[in-house]
Amino acid sequence: MLHLKAHAAILKAYLKIMLTYRGMMILHLFRVVLMPLVIAAAWLSIEKADGNPYENSDYLLYYLLVPLVMNLTNSRSVFRFPVSVRDGTLSRELIKPYPPLMNIVIESFTNNLQMLLYLVPFTLISVFLFQSHFDFSFLSYKMVPISILAIFFGALTRLLISGSIALTGFWLEDVTTLNLLLNGSIWALLGGMIIPVATFPEKIRQIAELLPYRYMLSFPIEIFSGRLTTLAIYKGFAVMFFWIIIFSFTARFIWKRGIKIYSAYGG
Amino acid sequence: MFSQLKIIMKLWKASIIQSMEYRGSFIFSIFANFFDFIFGLLQYLVFFTAAKSIAGWSSDNMLALYSVFMFIYSLQFIFLYPNIAVLGEMVNTGGLDLLLTKPLDARLFVLLRKISLEELGSLSTSIVLFIWLISKGVFVITFQSVLLFIISIFSALIIVYSIYITLTALAIMLEKMEDASEFIWSLFSFCRYPTDIYPAKMKFLFFTFFPIAYISTVPAQTISGLGSTEPVIYGFIISILSLLISSAIWKKTIRSYTSAGS
Repeated sequence: MLHLKAHAAILKAYLKIMLTYRGMMILHLFRVVLMPLVIAAAWLSIEKADGNPYENSDYLLYYLLVPLVMNLTNSRSVFRFPVSVRDGTLSRELIKPYPPLMNIVIESFTNNLQMLLYLVPFTLISVFLFQSHFDFSFLSYKMVPISILAIFFGALTRLLISGSIALTGFWLEDVTTLNLLLNGSIWALLGGMIIPVATFPEKIRQIAELLPYRYMLSFPIEIFSGRLTTLAIYKGFAVMFFWIIIFSFTARFIWKRGIKIYSAYGG
Repeated sequence: MFSQLKIIMKLWKASIIQSMEYRGSFIFSIFANFFDFIFGLLQYLVFFTAAKSIAGWSSDNMLALYSVFMFIYSLQFIFLYPNIAVLGEMVNTGGLDLLLTKPLDARLFVLLRKISLEELGSLSTSIVLFIWLISKGVFVITFQSVLLFIISIFSALIIVYSIYITLTALAIMLEKMEDASEFIWSLFSFCRYPTDIYPAKMKFLFFTFFPIAYISTVPAQTISGLGSTEPVIYGFIISILSLLISSAIWKKTIRSYTSAGS
């Protein structure tokens, strides 16, 4: 049922393909780190409003970790699936002896994995360069495994939401705009990309904590920074599991409906 | 020149008809872009709950910057971006050779062949935001400031166009640069905030060799009464220079182009 051997082989193949285009990876790294650095520069030049709990060192640490977490929870399956419906390559996937969408998931996973080759050194070097600016007193090694766990489930949440959007490709010609709306803009606003969720006004923060977007970016960083109470961490995981269940069912429902109307052409 | 314009118009018409084929998707895209703009606006509003000002820019000044930024951004997205997005493929498949053999100005045709109206939602909303800011009295409206603002917007458009020409030439020269569009995205990431947020050395770079300061910061500064006349004049000179340099690069590239595809 698990088809581990097949999945490992696919993973290896994708890694090899991606390593062929190393130049592209550097360009991609530039793109991934650029926006967080621009936003960090903006936050470091602000005149703080009263009641803003973040110091310059908090902003700096936050935005140095953003590229890493953002990349690890990223899901690139959105654009691949509708194309496979249109050009008929989905038909090929359907007859393979393992779950048909696994290929796309593994490709996206490999992409995230290989970016680590660049992002981990980038983050470590940056932290080393700016170490005198940081306040490390909040950091605790105990929080590292919990942050990793949060990143894993955050990635799963994003995968299921992106997957559900991708599966509407059975009906829609182009899911880019739907993705921009449900996954891009709201994520940037309420996930903690532009503004760290902890610095939101109380009411907006409460809404952000109930929606799934915070868990794909801000939550793991908040845990790592040691700024969350144990209760807040439990609550966060509970909300995340709720969304994982909801979107598992949604994706399954859309898949079952979609596959019934799918008529293979091309290949 | 007039006949070339006529042909471009025809190409645009074909491009629009093509996108209208999927009418539902087309209308939905405009609608989604409108919401994307609103989310961008909300970002600034929430930003200012945690900050009083960004590098001396108040929330009103930032809204002015956002409306100018989105205006230029959506214009380039409508007219230029769809062309550069398919450029890599065109070079690799030899489609470019076909275009170069036509008795027309190749640069215009490579850069302005396709049009995408999806960003109309953002373009119109940026104009609405701009008008709202005028009515709110945020802008300094005098004959001089309006004139300088128009010049600065003009310079911004020329700079963006020149960057496109250079990138197109580079993509043709290197034969494998499918990610020229990634560069455009990165370029505009810098323009979302005023150049005042960057360290002095970077700021110098943005006003000279990599002149992105003139794309959004200078026009927004001019109309908000924050800046002086000099940056607008420099911007204009730099835009003309970049147009000349990029044209020279283009000409050199086309002269040495040996075709990559089949």
